[in-house]
Amino acid sequence: MTTRFNNLPTLKVDAGEKVPFTYKGKKFYGAKGDTIATALYANGIRIYARSLKYHRPRGFYSMDGECSNTMMEVDGVPNVRTETTYLKPNMVIKEQNVKGSADKDMMGFMDKMDWAMPAGFYYDVMHKPAKIWPIAQKQIRKAAGIGALSPDYIMPGKYDEIYPNCEICVIGGGPAGMTAALAAAESGKRVILMEVRPWLGGNFEYRSAKYADGMSYNERAVQLAKEVEACENIRVFLSTANVGVYNNNLVTGFQIGEEKDVFTERYVEIRANSVVVATGCIERPLLFDNNERPGVMQAGTALRMATTYGLLPGKRAVFSIGHDLGLEAAVTLFDLGMKIEMLADIREDGQDPELEKAIQARGITLLKGWVAATANGRKQVQSVTMTTVDGTVSRDIECDLLVASAGFTPLTGPLVVNQAKLKYDSHTNFFLPTDIPERMYAAGRLLGYEDGASIEASGRVAGYEAIGDAAKADAAKKALSELPGPARGCKLINAPVKGRKSFICFDEDTTIKNVKQSIDKGFDVPELIKRFSGAGLGPGQFGIPGHNLPLYTAKYQAQPEVKIRPTTVRPPLVPTNLATYAGTNHNMFKITPIDDLQKKDGGIFRNIGVWQRARYFSNDLTCKAEIENVRENVGMLDGSTLGKFRIHGPDAEKALQRVYISDMSKCKDGRVKYTAMCNDDGCVIDDGVVIKNGENDYYFTTSTGRAGQTVEWIRYHTRYDGWDFSIVNLTDSMGVINLSGPNARKVLEKVTDTDVSNEGFGFSEYKEFSIGGIPVRAMRLGFVGELSYEFHVPSSYMKSLWLMLWEAGKEFNIMNFGVEAQNVLRMEKCHIILGQETEQRTNLLDAGLGFLWARKLSEWKKVGAVALRQAEGDESRLTLVGFKMENKHRAPRDGALIVDDKVRGYIATARDSFALGEAVGMALVEKHMSKVGTRLSIFEDECNGNLIYGKVVPMPFYDPEGKRMKM
Amino acid sequence: MALTLTCPICGERNGYEFRYGGEEKGPRPEEDGLTPEKWVEYVHMNECKAGVQEEWWFHRDGCGSWFKTFRDTTTNLEQKQEG
Ligand SMILES: [Zn+2]
Repeated sequence: MTTRFNNLPTLKVDAGEKVPFTYKGKKFYGAKGDTIATALYANGIRIYARSLKYHRPRGFYSMDGECSNTMMEVDGVPNVRTETTYLKPNMVIKEQNVKGSADKDMMGFMDKMDWAMPAGFYYDVMHKPAKIWPIAQKQIRKAAGIGALSPDYIMPGKYDEIYPNCEICVIGGGPAGMTAALAAAESGKRVILMEVRPWLGGNFEYRSAKYADGMSYNERAVQLAKEVEACENIRVFLSTANVGVYNNNLVTGFQIGEEKDVFTERYVEIRANSVVVATGCIERPLLFDNNERPGVMQAGTALRMATTYGLLPGKRAVFSIGHDLGLEAAVTLFDLGMKIEMLADIREDGQDPELEKAIQARGITLLKGWVAATANGRKQVQSVTMTTVDGTVSRDIECDLLVASAGFTPLTGPLVVNQAKLKYDSHTNFFLPTDIPERMYAAGRLLGYEDGASIEASGRVAGYEAIGDAAKADAAKKALSELPGPARGCKLINAPVKGRKSFICFDEDTTIKNVKQSIDKGFDVPELIKRFSGAGLGPGQFGIPGHNLPLYTAKYQAQPEVKIRPTTVRPPLVPTNLATYAGTNHNMFKITPIDDLQKKDGGIFRNIGVWQRARYFSNDLTCKAEIENVRENVGMLDGSTLGKFRIHGPDAEKALQRVYISDMSKCKDGRVKYTAMCNDDGCVIDDGVVIKNGENDYYFTTSTGRAGQTVEWIRYHTRYDGWDFSIVNLTDSMGVINLSGPNARKVLEKVTDTDVSNEGFGFSEYKEFSIGGIPVRAMRLGFVGELSYEFHVPSSYMKSLWLMLWEAGKEFNIMNFGVEAQNVLRMEKCHIILGQETEQRTNLLDAGLGFLWARKLSEWKKVGAVALRQAEGDESRLTLVGFKMENKHRAPRDGALIVDDKVRGYIATARDSFALGEAVGMALVEKHMSKVGTRLSIFEDECNGNLIYGKVVPMPFYDPEGKRMKM
Repeated sequence: MALTLTCPICGERNGYEFRYGGEEKGPRPEEDGLTPEKWVEYVHMNECKAGVQEEWWFHRDGCGSWFKTFRDTTTNLEQKQEG
């Protein structure tokens, strides 16, 4: 491992604390605080990957995730941006997109094949003849693409989400962001400051150069950060990348968790009154031949590698830069022991005189108007061909590091995704934001400021504007106007070379030559070039080509500057894991009060709506034993998922009259009333029972799936009436046990003294009594077609009651039955389940429930009544019928189609019935096919084109007189 | 996406907590003499105004009340009414 600096004030690594990791199967050590990429660099790794198309060697170029050069597979996760991902102990790191290794890639010959692959070659070449495309596609897919993920891969880690509100949200924790936050916080308003790095300070943080007399940039950053941290109304989100900004200042991002955090990553969504964008700049790459060869590095990358991570990026460096930060980097790195072979500034003039003095004092020669033309060296830079900007003079210089940077690119993404426009500014050579939406402000380096005091002052202006303090904002503006304005930007895009190997986009291997080819083919604006050549479509989200592409396009076409247009930026601004968007575990299901008993009894659970319920009690999915035991002995079902409500108050009955289709004034004490709810189209949405407990006091049930919407539904349809009633949702506080079968009464008689004989407690009656001291609301229902009791009890009593009945039922052969057994039992009785025998378009009459409708009560304006009146007698509607199969035991699948020359209906539920000894079911068919005896031809995927046949029969199939449920 | 609504009981809350309940169209019409056209007009036809419209919202993940508010459909911003 290379030696590291260990006493710089800017350092963020602790070289004394070693962090082990595995790379390509071998064990290495990084330092605490390293990114994966810096840890690898410290271990002498220079070739990080091979490029997408040409398999060119790629190395450490940028530090903010602008390109895919350093993407690797980490702990099984592909495409991890190692330059922004911090090293954790025992990480397992692998290379991607290599055949062999990144160092010796067998696909390396592809680099010589570029003549065969002009821009858009797969559109041009591979489609003629058409049959070649599938073969070509297979080969291209094999050769290209980065990272692989197995389909059953489960993302490790914990993902969370957080939705804070604030008055001012500042995006970017650099000097401008911090001064903006501090200015806004003076008002006492709540401020959120989000910063993508794990520390505040931005572009001041890693610089040891002079900020003011007696203070370095780094010291100033620390000072500001302390002020921010001390401010109680600023909440700081570190390691939080901004991903999008939306209408009404909704700011989204994701935060990487630290060791102490309970999350690996979390989604952050901030509702802010005002937003300040102070995201600063990345560097604008310099285009020359082999500009992405390992050993070529951006100025900020080289500087930060030394000052933040303690690593000297090279021993002998050539600098080809176009801005003062590049000069400053050369001075700092020289002081840290780097030999500067050549320092070339693209600019002829305009350098900071103090920096020039510092360069002179160190004996470094500064060449103005010079630029790198070609990086030489097969796998790593060994020398650089330098040239004058006009290309007339050139010189080869040996080196192991080439620091190259043409200028800066403002990070305007957060503004642009929130609909701000960009306009080319000739002075800065930036695309600057205009038409910024209301209550959104920009500050700092992204506006072109390079002077430290100006950066801070512009932050203060934005901060005061964001809180709407005009007086303070005006004063801050005046202060800013007295400081240096935006710096003049270097305009050079590419060195004077033809550009066959000058890469404008690293991720997609797009060269200057490809851009020319695209333009020559007529794709003459960046939006089209991007799609035709692929430039900017890679994981770097336009970080490398975003600025150069529109500049170059305009230059190549000799366009006036005003016409230059960058491509549209869309969220996510930074690649985000789907797992982070998914957030916390949304697979949460409710369990019934006797969930554990059902599990112990061997229940096989399924997710049903928001619940988990026992669907089967054996591996026999026909449930023969469960069904037969209910028909012959007695079974018990956990029905706790049923919706349960109390409605009471002076106008409770009125509300029921509105939403239920029957005449609710006819609810009688001690009786169970079965009824249904429709929507305004007359379609059935719910059915259940209503029990009158007193004047304007009712207990009612809804189907499992409707329980969540019932309160909303009733209040919606009574919202204009001003009726006085209350609804209480008792669904979770009450449990339900269904005791069914010919022996049910014998079981019940053993546990209660109440008269539960057929005379004392008849069919369709309601009774309240106690079982072993437990208050029970009991109903006699017949859903499964046998003698049946339904007990509603407070959830806390469910277990006791269940065990009591179970004990009493042992001698009568009591058994569990699950949801599927119940489904078959009720189907044999032709009792419908909404959603099974009905779909969204099925109205009350179609479902055969017309008898429930009190059609004359128009004064109640019953929901659904108007539509039902209109649908009456409509011959074009589907209607519910029962059917038997011609082939006795061949039940069609639920959902199979009924056809002749066209589709005439579909199967709702069908099963091979044990009680009847043949396959029966219910179907929704066109009215003309509903007559008893009609032959139904049924199509299903499994029938291999051979239709199967059934015929319409009267309903119900089982015990048509209903004697068994009334016994 | 960034909708914020003011519930008369709970105050200003995240739009995710609410369910949309349609445009304000007045109470259900009397059923006597109601033509199918008029009924469909009431139930299904909407103005879909590009601008400020009065509409119903339900505070689903809150107090459970239905209330009316004004929203500018072009900006998705609630328009608070005076008084
Ligand atoms: Zn509320």
